[in-house]
Amino acid sequence: MSRYIVERLLMLIPVLLSVAFIIFAIMNAAEGDPVYSVVSADATQEQIEAARIELGLDGTLIQRYFRYVGGMIKGDLGTSYVSKRDVMQTYMMRLPNTLKLAAASMVVALVISIPLGIIAAVNQNSIRDAVSMVLALLGLSMPNFWLGLLLILLFSLRLGWFPSAGYEDGLRSIILPAITNGTGLAAFMTRATRSSMLDVVRQDFLRTARAKGVTERKVIRKHALRNALIPIITVFGVQFSNVLGGSVLVETVFAWPGVGRLVVDAIEQRDIPTVTGALVMTTMLVTITNLLIDIVYAYVDPRIKSQYAKKGFKLWKRT
Amino acid sequence: MGDHTAKLILDVKNLVVRYETEDGIVHAINGIDLQLGYRETLGLVGETGAGKTTAALAMLRLVPDPPGVVECERLTIDGRDILNMPSAKMDDVRGKDISMVFQDPMTALNPVFTVGEQIAESLQIHEHLDKRDAMKRAREMLELVGIPGSRAGDYPHEFSGGMKQRVVIAIALACNPKLLIADEPTTALDVTIQAQVLELMTTLKEKYDTSMIMITHDLGIVAEVCDVVAVMYAGHIVEQGTLEDVFNRTKHPYTEGLFNSLPNIYNRTAMLKPIKGLMSDPTDPPPGCPFEPRCEYALAECKTRNPDLVPAGPTHKVACLAYEQEGFHIKRRI
Amino acid sequence: MEKDLKKMPTPAASSTESASLSTTQARLVSKTFKKRSTWASVWRQLRKNKGAIAGLVLLIIIIGVALAAPIIFDYNTDIIQNNIRERRQPPSADHWFGTDEMGRDIFARVCYGARYSLAVGVVAVLFALVFGVTFGAAAGYIGGAFENIMMRLCDILSSIPSVLMAIAVVSALGKSTLNLMIAVGVASTAPFIRVARAAVLTVRNEEYIEAARAIAVPEWKIVVTHILPNSLSPIIVQATLRVGSAIISAAQLSFLGLGVPAPAPEWGSMLSAGRIFIRDHSYMTLFPGLAIMVTVLSLNLIGDGLRDALDPRLKS
Repeated sequence: MSRYIVERLLMLIPVLLSVAFIIFAIMNAAEGDPVYSVVSADATQEQIEAARIELGLDGTLIQRYFRYVGGMIKGDLGTSYVSKRDVMQTYMMRLPNTLKLAAASMVVALVISIPLGIIAAVNQNSIRDAVSMVLALLGLSMPNFWLGLLLILLFSLRLGWFPSAGYEDGLRSIILPAITNGTGLAAFMTRATRSSMLDVVRQDFLRTARAKGVTERKVIRKHALRNALIPIITVFGVQFSNVLGGSVLVETVFAWPGVGRLVVDAIEQRDIPTVTGALVMTTMLVTITNLLIDIVYAYVDPRIKSQYAKKGFKLWKRT
Repeated sequence: MGDHTAKLILDVKNLVVRYETEDGIVHAINGIDLQLGYRETLGLVGETGAGKTTAALAMLRLVPDPPGVVECERLTIDGRDILNMPSAKMDDVRGKDISMVFQDPMTALNPVFTVGEQIAESLQIHEHLDKRDAMKRAREMLELVGIPGSRAGDYPHEFSGGMKQRVVIAIALACNPKLLIADEPTTALDVTIQAQVLELMTTLKEKYDTSMIMITHDLGIVAEVCDVVAVMYAGHIVEQGTLEDVFNRTKHPYTEGLFNSLPNIYNRTAMLKPIKGLMSDPTDPPPGCPFEPRCEYALAECKTRNPDLVPAGPTHKVACLAYEQEGFHIKRRI
Repeated sequence: MEKDLKKMPTPAASSTESASLSTTQARLVSKTFKKRSTWASVWRQLRKNKGAIAGLVLLIIIIGVALAAPIIFDYNTDIIQNNIRERRQPPSADHWFGTDEMGRDIFARVCYGARYSLAVGVVAVLFALVFGVTFGAAAGYIGGAFENIMMRLCDILSSIPSVLMAIAVVSALGKSTLNLMIAVGVASTAPFIRVARAAVLTVRNEEYIEAARAIAVPEWKIVVTHILPNSLSPIIVQATLRVGSAIISAAQLSFLGLGVPAPAPEWGSMLSAGRIFIRDHSYMTLFPGLAIMVTVLSLNLIGDGLRDALDPRLKS
């Protein structure tokens, strides 16, 4: 198992390098020479060239990319054009807020989706199933930022229960953003839980469990759920990247000072180092989370665990 | 078989099971009676779809509901009324008084628990052992079915099909049930393994004085392990009796068909005689005898009247209208 | 029942052979026959699904509104012209959805906005579909190193959150409706690569492909006439559901000010403009959001219905 983790970590390196390259290339394809957003309008040609070298904008795209990656390894993501601050520092300052929001959103999603999905599956084609599925469908169809606005309208402005913006109010201020960001995920996972449970509920081994006298409650909670969790974890992993992505909107709606706000502000100010750095770091976060989820996966499904334990892990042919 | 005065481990009267689906009502079992004495082994024979498995599930009250609907006049196991038992009580009966070995060992075990845990679970429920004692007993059970106890910590996917079936047998026998239902326990196994598993089951059955219902379509297995036989067709029992009765004094044309589709070891070049046609659609059973469309002895009356199971000897019963004619006999002769 | 018949001894060696040959033929015949009847049976399945029909009706209405909007409303006078005297009026008989901060009729703008959302959603998904299916089908069919590289690329693309990806593309290309379509399209390509590859992989090993190869049908013809049509259903389902999420993505970008530029009546940018007035003029945020939700809901209903109708696993 440890070998598996080490190999997966090693595989992260080419993935992260490619991610950095893709983002770097996209950001460098931006219209206009970014150097003009830094130097003053009446700068001389020498001043412009000096600024270009200072900003690391000289050389070909490939040269600049390798320079960027060289810095990245040392934890240097460059300096913001606008604030002149170190991008890594700024990012790390904002990251805890985004992680808090993501964690809270996932808690919201799990608390809603797992019970709802199980109830729907166990009572397939009943009223409860129908209600759960309609709720999930609505959650899936609702743009998160609009839901955020509606929640603000009802719970902050009309009822005054929660603050409408900011993060100073502790738990009370994270509830609305977390619901906003967690609803989409909850909808996704309710559907995933239901269909996964429906698959498992038909399996023969549940009959074996019933035949040895396991109560129906325990059949569902112990025997079925543990198996159903395997595909649910996959959906959870895939959706994590959307939770981080969604937080851009939620952070905008609730003035939540996280990474998402950082990216949007930086784009408006054409602050390319900040945008590139934030995107690379966020993607790295998603990738590492996916690795963690794969490890959890292996623990939940013994078939995968022993597969890695015995044959070792093949870097190349995974799919 | 039916010595009604003796105490019975299993007594089923007029069991009816149907599945009410969107596409129509599937008449899986259409009124069957079964009695089984202590330490006896009953062979329940018939092709897939005849209702054998459904009958077994009904005895465990495990017919999925919905869509399954079970109706019955009497259903007792070891003298206890299973039919009207509250479901909480039923959990105590399953695995303790009556347990089941399933057809496909590949899917009968939960892939995410070790085999030891799955055997121990039964002991924890019925013998109220704590986890450690239960695991110890689970290892003993594994040894009993011929698997080293050290493998209790392994997961099902680490075992071969034959070994998985041994595990399933260990689960079923963990709490010394009075009645063991084996649903085609060897069908999914290699021929070489089949004999071993069968022998294991009969040995353990003798050892623990268990009564058994052996569900199978393999007449060879029936001949080897069963005392009494019931032949099922389309949810009816068409012939019933001791092993001798059914094998040597075959009465029903369907039973005859089953024997005829076996290869003849005395004449290796002889053509097999499979039963023509397919079993009738269980959502739309014919009004008369269910075997009539495939029966070479069918009379005009067979189309309209469904025969009752009537005595054809001291322990022998058959459901066939042709026997109402004087001097009728089927072609099969041993 | 069939299983049991197989288990029952079969008559004799020679007739076994001919029997298995005829089943292969039967399978081949039934497959071609099935291809034609599939769409009829899909429609029959879909018609039974109340949700899908509701979605279809909704979508037809929305498309109708989008088509009729330029006939009913004049873009210059009804949609973008300011009318300061009538600004921020609550819903009334004159202005069903009220008016915005510039005094423009929100009902007219919401109707007109359907054009943007549908266009962006459909074009973006077409973009993703063309690229994704081409690369995905090629990956599945060619296999080997190419497949591996494509799949790794997919992994990489899907680890970049799609909103961030779209943001990066828009910020690189500049703000315009076309760039928004490209950005959303790029961000939704990876799923199509996956689905197309998986679909081709399942079909590739079917017996009728082998049969076609055995009678020397050229490879390209096998792909076009056999593999693609038979892997179509998961791709169609994916496309329907993706149009919905593309509409949401586009609205999100517009909400952030990175989508369709003002003063065009895009639903996301209307929400962005209206949110400042949410305390006293909530109707300004209510209706454009409702429009997004209803549109996406209709697509999700149809997508779900199609999936149920096309997925043979659920039929039993």
